[in-house]
Amino acid sequence: MKPTRALALVLLALLFTWVGQVALGYFQVGKLEPVINEETNLPNPPTPSGLAQTGARVFASEGCIECHSLAVRGPVGSSDLTRGWGPRRSVPRDYLLREPAMIGFSRIGPDLSDVGERIKEPSDFFMHLLNPRKLKASSTCPPHPWLFDIKLAGPKPENDSMPLTTDDWKQVVPSYQAKSLVAYLQSLNLNYSLPEAPIK
Amino acid sequence: MNHIHPSKSAVASQILIAGSVIWSLLGGGLQILANLQLLIPLLSYFQPAPVLGFGRLVPASTFLLTYGWIGSGLLGVLMILVPRFSGIPFRHGRLLASGAIAWHLAVLTGLTQILMSGSSGLLSLPFSRSVTLIFFASFLVLGTGITRGLGGTWKSGPLLPRLYLLGGILAFPLGLGTAELLLRCGNAPGAVQIITQLVWHSFLHHLWLTPLALVLVFQLLPTLTGRAVTSLSLGVLAWGILLTLGGWTANSLASQGPIPSWLQSAGVIASVLLFVTALGNTVLFQPLLEGRMDEIRRNVALRFLAFGTWSYVAAYGWMMFLSIPGVRQNTAFTVAWNASQSLFLFSFLGSVLAGSIYALLPVIKNVGWPSHSSLLWHFWCNALGVALTFIGYALAGVLQGLALNDAGVPFSTLASYLRPFLVVILVGQALWLLGQLAFSSLFFATLLKLFPFTAPMAVFPSTRTQNSDVAHAHP
Repeated sequence: MKPTRALALVLLALLFTWVGQVALGYFQVGKLEPVINEETNLPNPPTPSGLAQTGARVFASEGCIECHSLAVRGPVGSSDLTRGWGPRRSVPRDYLLREPAMIGFSRIGPDLSDVGERIKEPSDFFMHLLNPRKLKASSTCPPHPWLFDIKLAGPKPENDSMPLTTDDWKQVVPSYQAKSLVAYLQSLNLNYSLPEAPIK
Repeated sequence: MNHIHPSKSAVASQILIAGSVIWSLLGGGLQILANLQLLIPLLSYFQPAPVLGFGRLVPASTFLLTYGWIGSGLLGVLMILVPRFSGIPFRHGRLLASGAIAWHLAVLTGLTQILMSGSSGLLSLPFSRSVTLIFFASFLVLGTGITRGLGGTWKSGPLLPRLYLLGGILAFPLGLGTAELLLRCGNAPGAVQIITQLVWHSFLHHLWLTPLALVLVFQLLPTLTGRAVTSLSLGVLAWGILLTLGGWTANSLASQGPIPSWLQSAGVIASVLLFVTALGNTVLFQPLLEGRMDEIRRNVALRFLAFGTWSYVAAYGWMMFLSIPGVRQNTAFTVAWNASQSLFLFSFLGSVLAGSIYALLPVIKNVGWPSHSSLLWHFWCNALGVALTFIGYALAGVLQGLALNDAGVPFSTLASYLRPFLVVILVGQALWLLGQLAFSSLFFATLLKLFPFTAPMAVFPSTRTQNSDVAHAHP
């Protein structure tokens, strides 16, 4: 085999790989648009807030994706729906506005695609981030104390300070990073119908 | 071959290999720290900063082991090997050494970024754009150096190592560049980002690292055994299939995931065919090793290379097994995929790299490896460590998958099921690290010429070369 022919074959194979997957994939799922809900006139999937978008970066940088997946499977061949991880399976349109788009490949912890529906109170999220075992004694999730500030309390504690007993005049307050992460987690839900994945 | 003076590339290759050894120790250490936290979650309550958190240790160790240990190690040994089989010596030694330093700078910057600021969350691309740029600049120098003159001397030696070298050297910049453009410059929409990550993950493992390792196997095994590869056509066919389908395999990771189902099916087919490719290559390797058990026991380089080639088939066999739809359904999102990594990275690539270093370092240092118990420690700790890690992950993954798919099993009890297997995995990883420590002590002592006596371990005597023999032995 001549070197030029080998070079051409290598380039063709690499091109086939990218074009075959990314270009065809783009034509199939890259041109999807949000679907407008006729009752509310709002787009589905919902547009995440700026704070939630920042939170997605915090989610990535804290490595949450190493233990939690963001893809509900089913209904056949998986117990995801029975476990209550979502009302329906995840489809490509759900990831349309996610930046970065992650699905995760491990389930040391539960799937979080619909966690915004499962946990409603921001304070529960904050407590989980600060001390996961406070909410669930068997949790293997590591705490994230660096996402919280310890401040002097002053005459009146801040509105979002954690309900914790600390040393005198101290209070534990979620940082901007913690707030954005919680906003992101709250934004994760599959509680909307899509033509390709209706909620039954 | 006496006319070749590869000293100009010797510094660059030594920098690359020495760095690779250090990254392997650090990566192995971080991996153990991460698994310790998984085994004893309370440990994570004692860390005041995120630097050593599980979510940062895992991507950091994977990054170090892939780009730092295997990536730079393979490039380092190729810098020793290629001028010998192309017959063209390197020029611009300082430039090559700068390229090698830049590669390690990229690894160091990436590691610091992941530990201090966290991962990007992208699969196999956990670092920032600046690190990609440093990798590119470095690879431009190293890749150009390695492939320089390859075309001109194409017919002067065995074809298969050259074909794999060409594929591997082109796949890295084209794969990384396209992934970077699509993921961080072009803002590919949602699900396309996921597809792109999967393609890059496949590129990195099956179109870059595997071909580079196969260059070494196809060049060194015939040299060490003095036997020729029997069927060039089969070899070329396997090369063609690997390059065409290697980039498709990771799609099988996204079982029932949010990517088109035809891509998932393509991932399964690619995984099956890559295993067939591995079997095809084994048909070529087996006659080289047949009846050579005594030599495999005696020659440490051959022993590691033989272990690496058997692991190559095992790694692709396991990957194919996991991709079978019924199995995939049960093992998706479980640690069974970590078993794949332990076979692929540690057993296949790690052993081929170690065997190549054992075979090639004496060429540039003009010494042999000392007849030292460290050699045995390295091999047995490596083999036992990898076996324990693989078995632990595989059993844990299957059990985890069965429990995950049974809604009657409370999710909170899953962690306790994994605990006994995590102990086995930790023992395996500690053994592997011990073996790597033994190897590093040997490596640095040899690099600094601390041993007064040398055993006949070098396979390329410095006074003459066997490459020309191999060239004739090849079809």
